[in-house]
Amino acid sequence: MTLINDLGLHARAAAQVVREAAKYSSRITISREDRGVHADARSILDILYLAAGLGKEVLIHAEGDDAEAALSSISDLFAHGFGEI
Amino acid sequence: MNKVGGVIISHGQLATELLSAAEAVVGDINQIRAVSIGWHDDVEAAKGEIQQAIAEVSRGAGALLLTDMFGGTPTNIAAMFFKQGEVEIVTGVNLPMVIKLASLSKEITLTDLAEEVEQQGKEAITRAGVLLEPQKLRKDA
Repeated sequence: MTLINDLGLHARAAAQVVREAAKYSSRITISREDRGVHADARSILDILYLAAGLGKEVLIHAEGDDAEAALSSISDLFAHGFGEI
Repeated sequence: MNKVGGVIISHGQLATELLSAAEAVVGDINQIRAVSIGWHDDVEAAKGEIQQAIAEVSRGAGALLLTDMFGGTPTNIAAMFFKQGEVEIVTGVNLPMVIKLASLSKEITLTDLAEEVEQQGKEAITRAGVLLEPQKLRKDA
């Protein structure tokens, strides 16, 4: 996914991801392949360390029984720029 | 097991503002209180306020006191409440530490929590430039 909102993955956006991730039992990670860093989607502080600004690419990975649903709802947040567009 | 509670204690309004900032990020936080100690406040009054805040948040699971600066009055007063397994103090509070404390949902003992929050606070201090552009900056160095 590409970050399309001006502020990128900032604190409140990260909080939205965490709240969404908490609804699923799957293990969800968000990665910046270009920097080789991975974040647990349940940790705001982990996500902030991705330092993913506008235009940066992240990879969302989910593993578990509800992985597909988790991927779809979290991708939606990114696709809609966390409601900031 | 109840969640461990937290009390942020600082000079001036820093504690209150740290808690507000954390709430802007994670939403309402119920188990953390802020105690601001004025520059000219009476020590006994400040002690009373901290004691009450600890009683409100600990609910049998203990309380973690986050203070602004080692050696300062808020820390020195907070230190009077230290009791292994019941009240722990971590100094040098920053916003990531408050967010960490607010968002820990797993069951965790007070001692483990204090260690995690201390670790988080240290990790949160970075030269952002090195984090964002590692190769470039290291070459410059």
